[in-house]
Amino acid sequence: MNQGSVVFAGNGERIASNVGRFKLLPFFAVASLAMFLLVAGALWYFEREQGVFFRDVQQEQIGFFKQVQEEFAARQDSAARRDLLSIHEAGNVNLTRLFANALWERDFAPFVAKAAQLSIDACRAIADVKDEKDGKMKPPAEKKACFSEVGKKIAAFPEFAALNAKVFDTMKKSTVFKIKVFDLRGITVYSSEHAQMGEDKSTNAGWKVAAIDGKPASELTFRDKFSAFEGMVEKRDLISSYLPVLAPGTEQIVGVFEIYSDVTPFLNQIKQTSADIKKAAADNQGKVEAAATENQDKVDGAATQTLTIVMGLLGLLFGALFAIVWRAAAIIARQEKDRDRAQQQLAQSEKMASLGQMVAGVAHQLNTPLAFSSNNIQMAMMALDSYALPLQVAGTFARVVQNCDGDKVLINVLEARARIAGIDANDLDIKIPQAMLQDTLQGIDQMRELVENLRDFTRLDRSKTSRFNLNKSLQNVIYIAKSVIPTEIEVITDFGQLPEIDCNVSQLNQVFLNLINNASHAISGPGTITVRTSVEGERIRVDVSDTGSGIPAEHLSHIWDTYYTTKPAGEGTGLGLPIARTIVSEHGGEISVQTKTGEDSGTTFTVYLPIAA
Amino acid sequence: MADKKGRILCVDDEPNILRSLTWLLQKEFEVVTASSGQDGLALVRQQDFDVVISDQRMPGMMGSEFLREVRKLSPRSMRMMLTGYSDLQAMLRSVNDSEVFRFISKPWKINELPAVVAEAVYIARHHPVASAEPDALDAEAGKAPSWTSPESILLIDDEATLAEHLTQELGSALKVVHAKSIGEAVAAFSDNDIGIVLSDTRVANVDTTAMLRMLKQEHPEIVTVVYTAGTDAGEVVNLINQGQIFRFIPKPVKPAILGLAITAAERKRQQMRMTPGLAKRYAVEAVDEVAKAAFSENIRQVAQPSAGTDIPLPFLQRISGGFRRLFGT
Repeated sequence: MNQGSVVFAGNGERIASNVGRFKLLPFFAVASLAMFLLVAGALWYFEREQGVFFRDVQQEQIGFFKQVQEEFAARQDSAARRDLLSIHEAGNVNLTRLFANALWERDFAPFVAKAAQLSIDACRAIADVKDEKDGKMKPPAEKKACFSEVGKKIAAFPEFAALNAKVFDTMKKSTVFKIKVFDLRGITVYSSEHAQMGEDKSTNAGWKVAAIDGKPASELTFRDKFSAFEGMVEKRDLISSYLPVLAPGTEQIVGVFEIYSDVTPFLNQIKQTSADIKKAAADNQGKVEAAATENQDKVDGAATQTLTIVMGLLGLLFGALFAIVWRAAAIIARQEKDRDRAQQQLAQSEKMASLGQMVAGVAHQLNTPLAFSSNNIQMAMMALDSYALPLQVAGTFARVVQNCDGDKVLINVLEARARIAGIDANDLDIKIPQAMLQDTLQGIDQMRELVENLRDFTRLDRSKTSRFNLNKSLQNVIYIAKSVIPTEIEVITDFGQLPEIDCNVSQLNQVFLNLINNASHAISGPGTITVRTSVEGERIRVDVSDTGSGIPAEHLSHIWDTYYTTKPAGEGTGLGLPIARTIVSEHGGEISVQTKTGEDSGTTFTVYLPIAA
Repeated sequence: MADKKGRILCVDDEPNILRSLTWLLQKEFEVVTASSGQDGLALVRQQDFDVVISDQRMPGMMGSEFLREVRKLSPRSMRMMLTGYSDLQAMLRSVNDSEVFRFISKPWKINELPAVVAEAVYIARHHPVASAEPDALDAEAGKAPSWTSPESILLIDDEATLAEHLTQELGSALKVVHAKSIGEAVAAFSDNDIGIVLSDTRVANVDTTAMLRMLKQEHPEIVTVVYTAGTDAGEVVNLINQGQIFRFIPKPVKPAILGLAITAAERKRQQMRMTPGLAKRYAVEAVDEVAKAAFSENIRQVAQPSAGTDIPLPFLQRISGGFRRLFGT
């Protein structure tokens, strides 16, 4: 058992070579870590993008909200102003009605009629001139003076003072600051600001609306200085309304009033409200922005939290997977080890099988010299036994002759005859025992040759690798193989000149013995095995050809498979050729097969070994 | 040379062996040697030999092949085989093809070999083979021989398939007795005049070889055919040397081969009846004490279960009666 494992030591491990084995754990660790980092990076990026998007949306909403608030404030302001205007216009219309009812019939109608008597054609004939500043056509100073002259003439009417007093009396303590009356020509026939009397307002838009369309027209104006009934006032918001005067009981326009009423307090109130609204809007905006900031923070915080949890989970997942793979790698490694061990055991049994075959062959080979040597020695001994008496006789005779002084001795033939009766002179041929011992010596030589071959084959006492001539090795293998294979099979050698190569001779011996044995198994009855060596380029080529039945196609593709065998269970391990291939490739060589079935069948295994290993 | 006991032909490819055998045998016998089967056959054709000794392992012509030819050329010569190692196939071939008298294993014993050869010479000289044998040998595969009464064949096998097959194929010409154990076999001997025994080497887990050897010892006229699944070479040597097995059939048994063997056995049995001295040609070595002990053990094994309740006493008596008749003990 021990012997066997030493002889072919170190093949088993190499069948299941660990070189280039896939390393699961580092591969998984690197690959999955990279993947996890990629996923984590992607998640982080998307979370960040989401934050940015949320901020943009918030900004947009804030802008929209601001716009809405501003628009709302502006609308509210303009609506308040419009309301103010229309309320005051309506008030002014009523006031005009009242005023007209109170003053027109008795006071203003005759006054306006009298003023209308004054010709204004001369004044209107004065052409307008282009203003230097804004490029508009404006009446020149003499035209204004001309109309002013008309005003003065009107003011000079005797009934003017009473009318004026009446107007002032009526309008005092009201919000009306000024009142003007125009005739249908557009001439200011009365103004509470006397200096304006006589002015031509026929081109004024408000007057036109009132005088021609019969509708009131109002506008809001701001004056730094204004002469009101109570005197000069400053910085006032005013509403001026041009109002048509209808003859009582008719729809006939008889003149136009212009009333200035003071809306400064109302407008201030409106302005105050607008300011309040604006402030509220600004406050709201501030709140919205604060809320937005807060939301952004929350969203960012939530994102960070989510990201942290996801990262943590990813880490946990990686850890779990790593643990599983760690365990799996350990199990795989153990299984692989078990498999290796099983394979080694089988390889060992393959070695034992071939060793057993070899031992049987060698034992038989030993038997022949042993048989005749043993037989010869026993017979030689018997012969020696039979020489005892003749030698004794010869000895006695010699002593007698040597002790005799004379030339003659006397022999008692009668006595001697009885003593030498057992001697057969024919049996005293010493040549036969000599030949027997000579043959025995040959037998011992044969046995020594066998032992030497056996030692060369196993090479127990040599270094594992050495420079060797393969022809010598093959000669040795063939000698051993011949003792095993049937005698009907002739082994022919055709050796070419080979250079010595570095090799593990014992392993290569195993390969060649295996190939020759396989060849002999393929042959039933008589046949030949040819072992041929040659040099091909940088390689040594060894062919082992047989005249056997060849390998059928269905087996050919499997011959290198471990455990594949066509022999009955228990006879072949299915490891011979796989081991042979492993050994040859470890020597940097290759092994191939060519086979033919049917007529002229046979198989050739070719081994190539590099010369410079 | 006239005073020599007999003429011996030794064939071996190893000259040292031939010389050694010559030295050993030349005092008593006239020894002629040949270094190959072909040379041996040439000598057999020209001269008459009492005994032919051949090595099995020889280049060119195998020993079994050579002895088969010798059997054809010179049926009266006793054939002996020298074997050095255990090639079962070659041994089975030499049993079936050349009907060897003895196997001699190498290295032989110096005082036994001349005695065995002397016995063979004596048989060859005093119990000549029936003159019809060579023809019968050639016709072995052909026509069935004619005989007066049908032979009884004892099949010892614990399975029924082969018995059915035998009854079907040969039932008309043969009386088939089927024994499923050694006990039944022994009983069958007392009830029938058995001429041929066909047996497995193991029946109901009991080794039958010891029984077969002892049977032949007492009744050399019974022809035995043995089939076996895995026989070791030593068993074959013993069955030949001590049991003079007529044919060996490897398992699984092929019907054609079995048919041939049975036909040959019938013919042999017929020849033995016609030539009373012929059985002497199949004399066996004395069975050694070890084998006798093994056989006693077998009988004990067989007797033990039958000592139970299920087998009646008369059967046991029949066994012991048959046992006594067969083996004289």
